[in-house]
Amino acid sequence: MSVPLKKENVPEPIAYSEAALRNNANVLEYCRTSMSALSGSTAGVLGLTALNGFAFYMFSVVILWVMFMIKAGPNWQKYYVSRQSLLTHGFLGGLCTYVLFWTFIYGMVHVY
Amino acid sequence: MAELLLDPKIRLWVFLPIVVITFLVGIVRHYVSIILSSQKKIELLQVQDSQVMIRARLLRENGKYLPRQSFAMRRHWFNNEDTGYFKVQKRTSNAQNPMTDPGMMTDMLKGNVTNVLPMIVIGGWINWMFSGFLTTKVPFPLTLRFKPMLQRGVELAYLDASWVSSASWYFLNVFGLRTIYALVLGENNAADQSKMMQEQMSGAAMAMPPDPKAAFKAQWEALEITEHRWALANVENDLLIKND
Repeated sequence: MSVPLKKENVPEPIAYSEAALRNNANVLEYCRTSMSALSGSTAGVLGLTALNGFAFYMFSVVILWVMFMIKAGPNWQKYYVSRQSLLTHGFLGGLCTYVLFWTFIYGMVHVY
Repeated sequence: MAELLLDPKIRLWVFLPIVVITFLVGIVRHYVSIILSSQKKIELLQVQDSQVMIRARLLRENGKYLPRQSFAMRRHWFNNEDTGYFKVQKRTSNAQNPMTDPGMMTDMLKGNVTNVLPMIVIGGWINWMFSGFLTTKVPFPLTLRFKPMLQRGVELAYLDASWVSSASWYFLNVFGLRTIYALVLGENNAADQSKMMQEQMSGAAMAMPPDPKAAFKAQWEALEITEHRWALANVENDLLIKND
């Protein structure tokens, strides 16, 4: 007679593939850079200044996140370990790129 | 703060060229460092050492899936007082001085040539060629603390801090374009520092600690205190429960 133990007690250990994780992180990084450059250019063309520009960056980050979520679908856990890291990963590097492109296009279009 | 009016020619002949030059120099640097880079020579002994270390680590981590006897056998092979690998192998700690090794010396020199030299040369050239221009204005207000950073070469006390001089625009580009290089040149490029990390991840066999003696001792200790816990003790029960 086997007494049914509580199954929830023993969580199944999840094995992650290191190479796949790194690849996914790279994809995320590429998307982040592209998105930052594009949104920076957009902000420059629109002539956003000061807080508006940074708010626009937040907006673009969230948009990218939503796009990732839609792309990954309901079983996002197959691809990424956590949703928060999708949102925050590479945030500052992206900000750097964003500010550069924003300044560049803003200078090209609006300063002169 | 009164708005300044900049000559549109500055845009065409200063502002734009600096961006283009910075970007192209980064790309050239990538390819030059590829040309200069020499394949690292790996000694057989080093590879052997690092593989042994990896095996010892795997045994520690996954030993619970081995029967007790197998585990003990493997540990015996590593740790036996008389014949164990970690005991028998006598490695001299070769924490060599990089200055005495000519190969390492050239590597360091090459690293400097491809990294520091272009920074100084191009920076100096841009400073000399495009000195004294105000190129652009950052679209957000900044405090006075940023003035020396952003207005290098233009010492005007009453200028708004958000104006950017040409030399500073170059440095902004140097730092801002790093992520773009990753996009353009692929992940593993020479234009940024993440390469080092990559090497450590992929080639664990090459990243040997400089002092194998100490590393061996550490592994030996870790193995010695590892306790064997047989993970599959209740496997029949677990399987039956799953099938219920």
